[in-house]
Amino acid sequence: MENILELHQISKTFPKSDFTLENLSLSLPYGAIMGFVGENGAGKTTTIGCILNTLRRDGGTVKLFGQEMQDVDTDLREKIGVVYDGDNFPGFWNARQLSRVMSGLYRQWDNALFQKYLEDFRLPVKQKIKSYSRGMTMKLAIAAALSHHPQLLILDEATSGLDPVVRDEMLDIFLTFIQQENHSIFLSSHITSDLEKVADYITFIHNGRLVTTVSKNDIVYRYAVLRCKESQFLALDPDDILAFRKRDYQIDVLVADGKEAQRKYKDIVADHVSIDEMMLLFIKGERGQTPFV
Amino acid sequence: MKGLIKNNLYTALPNVKVFFATMILLGIFVIVTSAGSPALITCMLSVIIGFSFISLESAGLENTSKWIRYKLTAPVKRSDIVKSLYLSLLLWLSAGIVFAGISVAVSTALHGYPFDRNVDILLLFAVGIGISLFMGTVFFPLFFLGIEAQYNVFLFISILTGIGIIVGICLLINSFFPHGMTSRQIILSGIAVLIFSALAFALSCPLSVYLFQKKDY
Repeated sequence: MENILELHQISKTFPKSDFTLENLSLSLPYGAIMGFVGENGAGKTTTIGCILNTLRRDGGTVKLFGQEMQDVDTDLREKIGVVYDGDNFPGFWNARQLSRVMSGLYRQWDNALFQKYLEDFRLPVKQKIKSYSRGMTMKLAIAAALSHHPQLLILDEATSGLDPVVRDEMLDIFLTFIQQENHSIFLSSHITSDLEKVADYITFIHNGRLVTTVSKNDIVYRYAVLRCKESQFLALDPDDILAFRKRDYQIDVLVADGKEAQRKYKDIVADHVSIDEMMLLFIKGERGQTPFV
Repeated sequence: MKGLIKNNLYTALPNVKVFFATMILLGIFVIVTSAGSPALITCMLSVIIGFSFISLESAGLENTSKWIRYKLTAPVKRSDIVKSLYLSLLLWLSAGIVFAGISVAVSTALHGYPFDRNVDILLLFAVGIGISLFMGTVFFPLFFLGIEAQYNVFLFISILTGIGIIVGICLLINSFFPHGMTSRQIILSGIAVLIFSALAFALSCPLSVYLFQKKDY
């Protein structure tokens, strides 16, 4: 399958904060939505910065639409729509001024489409952006990102801080966008319930390192959490354990094949795993006698 | 580049409106009250330097949002973003020159020529333009070198440096002519100020591009 986005061994160190993004690799196929999950400070925004060249990476390669994007490759950036968390645009502008600026930046800017989004989202054209609510600000950012007909949407915590109604509206927009086969979305979030609704793949990141990338179908249909007593846990085959986490009265164990585990360990309860629980197991859990990551 | 210039225009516009209204009032006051050449000089320099100052300040205003980072994801080169800022300064400086020119013309028409010699006015324009260009020369590299929150300090430094350099050049020129200057010498001094400031401004642009290329957002 061809990939719209490929990261190979990218790394970035911030000496002042002692944070390092370490050799991160991932691929996003055409026509797919990838959720990029991790706790605050895990490296999600840094990764997006490296993809978009707002940050200079120390090593590794990023390929967008099959080629590395340099500063001069403005044609590639025509095909990318970006939404950041919070204030994307100067607050003292209004939507009309934003449209005029964007029409000068993007050759493919579609003012009619932008106006339609503004109407659909009930965003006042003449009102200053700083007087918009947070939901309105994010809707405006989505409208702007979509109005130059991008193929790839990159969203950095675009749904955080929004109420469920607005989040649901935005997820519907993403699902509409992805209807076209050559469109993809890379969506960083720590609101895992959103990703459960829309994502095809989930990539987990923790402390600047990639934990794993799994398809959502696998999370739903294959992965499972075994609820073990200590004696049951000690009897498990170490090869079956992806991650485990000690709780008050039980040990939760993440396994890659829930059905197989149920056949193998008949006396242990196996539950479906949510992205949230999986993230907690990866981040707070351990593997064997050593920290998992 | 068109979008970037529009971007800079809309960013500067709220402050330009306030400044423009203030300068109109100041201009009317100076013209109506016939306050004399010191007031006219103040008005002229304020207008020329003020428009340039607003242009610089608007670059820093963008830091209040993620807009700078967002712009980098748009189909524009980093070098074009820097060039657009330099170009915008020149455009606002031109607006200031026109405004000051109109003020002087109206004042002269109503009250007569306020200076001793015809060429004095040229030197004043050269000083205003020189300070503005040196402000840009200093501000932009500092802006791309430092952190976002420091831009107010950089503005202050750039004004002081701009004025300081022009005062220094004027003192240097005066030291060559201890017994006063002829009109021709004044014109040449004005041209020297313009050439130095334009040269410094032009050289500052590639330095800012270099620094911006290295900057993480």
